[in-house]
Amino acid sequence: MISMAIPLYERRLKRFFYLLILFIILVFIVSISSLSIGPAMLDPIKVLQALAFKLLGRDVGGLIDVVAKLRLARTLASIFCGASLALAGLLMQTITRNPLADPYIFGLSSTALTALALGIILAPDLMIQRVYVVTISFIGAMIGFTLTLLLSKLGGGSDIAMVLAGIAVASLFGGVSHILLYIVQSMTKVPYMYLLMGTVSTTLWGDVQLLIPLIIVPITLSLALFKPLNAYLYGDEFAKQLGFNPASIRIFTASISAFLTATTIAFIGVVGFIGLVAPHIARFFVGIDHKFSIPTTIFIGALLTLIADIIVKAISIFIGGLGELPLGVVTAVIGAPFLSYLVIKRMRR
Amino acid sequence: MKIVIKGLEVWYDSIQALRDASLEINEGELTFIIGPNGAGKSTLLKTIALIIKPKVGVIYIDGKALSKFSLKELSKILAYVDYQISKSLPSTVFEFLLTARYPHQNMLTFSMSQEDLEIVDKISKQLNISHLLDRKLDQLSSGELQRVLIARAFIQGSKVLLLDEPSAFLDLKYKLEILDLVKKFTKINRSICIIAIHDLYLASLYADKVVIMSNGEIVAVGRPREIFREDLLEKVYGVKTHILDINGRIAVIPLEPLNKMEL
Repeated sequence: MISMAIPLYERRLKRFFYLLILFIILVFIVSISSLSIGPAMLDPIKVLQALAFKLLGRDVGGLIDVVAKLRLARTLASIFCGASLALAGLLMQTITRNPLADPYIFGLSSTALTALALGIILAPDLMIQRVYVVTISFIGAMIGFTLTLLLSKLGGGSDIAMVLAGIAVASLFGGVSHILLYIVQSMTKVPYMYLLMGTVSTTLWGDVQLLIPLIIVPITLSLALFKPLNAYLYGDEFAKQLGFNPASIRIFTASISAFLTATTIAFIGVVGFIGLVAPHIARFFVGIDHKFSIPTTIFIGALLTLIADIIVKAISIFIGGLGELPLGVVTAVIGAPFLSYLVIKRMRR
Repeated sequence: MKIVIKGLEVWYDSIQALRDASLEINEGELTFIIGPNGAGKSTLLKTIALIIKPKVGVIYIDGKALSKFSLKELSKILAYVDYQISKSLPSTVFEFLLTARYPHQNMLTFSMSQEDLEIVDKISKQLNISHLLDRKLDQLSSGELQRVLIARAFIQGSKVLLLDEPSAFLDLKYKLEILDLVKKFTKINRSICIIAIHDLYLASLYADKVVIMSNGEIVAVGRPREIFREDLLEKVYGVKTHILDINGRIAVIPLEPLNKMEL
């Protein structure tokens, strides 16, 4: 008897591990390039050396220490925020069973930012602590998600209705957050406008130390949920028949997704489309099973964000304008055509 | 194993879909539910599958009320097959079938056991879908998808199999082959299989027990010979019929409706 399932399974498993190793190497290489690129170009080999020395606890000294330390925070922020946004997108796509879902397109990012800005205006003393910033933007993200889903339900609940509802919520709260941030800026004399389109250039070392655990915990939680998430994909009834409660999966996963979105917004602002694009690339390579697609999505998200940030740096070096472009501008330029492609593919069917 | 249904009543808003339905089903029995559109066949099946909550009445499995089981326990007992499956995110047949082993696994076990894979393999072969494993669900014909969905229920290995119109979309050969397989599966595993179906000939061929329904009520329960009677069918379906006996098999020939539609 020739078996079909066993070799098929082994092939998939192998493919996943090879790809995972490939993506880890790619993230590493791109991170080193990201550390080297900047107004002062560094030798990538020297950067690597300095990193190794640092890990061994030896003193590196000189310019490279200072520059790399500043840049390391930025690079790590790109990696972790990218991973976080990508996973948030994947989880949203699964629980809405909608391949067009993304925290930015569905309006969560804008409501989170609105909540954050309101928080700064109403309780500026509290907002000095990141924990409160993350909490308030999490509440904002949850409200945004609920609003979009309610609005799309009124519109028939189709995939495209969800996207349109999201765009309505995103546009409204994008505008509101813009106005609120303008007020915040006049109050605090600190430039907050960068939050509108996101940037990792202002991330400090202390931020990164808080950011990493805040993102690693939800990543671990969602990995542990891979079976309920897989069962959920085929419909509520299937999830139920396999012993999982679909309503609980929905609420829990939506919260994780909103938390990931909120955390990135609290640290780097609104960066769109990573959550849309990364899961599609991951599923193309490893299929729909979340035990494969979650890790792959995370690495692809990190990679895309790193590359987008390198583009930001490269543009500012070549053009030499005042300051840098926001990160969200670059991801939008890459991501929006991809959304158009998905919409066309979907509507043709 | 035995299922006892007592006095089920189901309401969709103000419309009553099941009236005082009571029934007993034994293991190793293939039970077919027949009746005209809107008779409550699917509703009865969905109520047993716990998809619909009855307003009144209880379903017992081996003396224990169904509502007393946890979702996890039920996942090992019940499998319900209908043709609504979400295909909006592209999954392969293989990925879909693997999920059917989850009730038998620990939630965090990463790899599939050899045994689980062998079950998937064996059942894919029996239902002739081995060559489809690598295909996407949305690339299947309706007949192929139907076989995949039935395979899923077999792979789950539940003792109670509930099938809603398993023969719709299947060609003549697969209709017979799949019902043959379902019958064998039921006999070998001493399981319970309840099938809602429109095709009266298939019901007469394979049924151990036939339940005929009309207007949310169970009109009669019995062996095929007791149910496929011209007077009973005329009363329930509103159609004059003729019963043929071909080598001990009953075939219902519909003649004409009692009330003809006027143009």
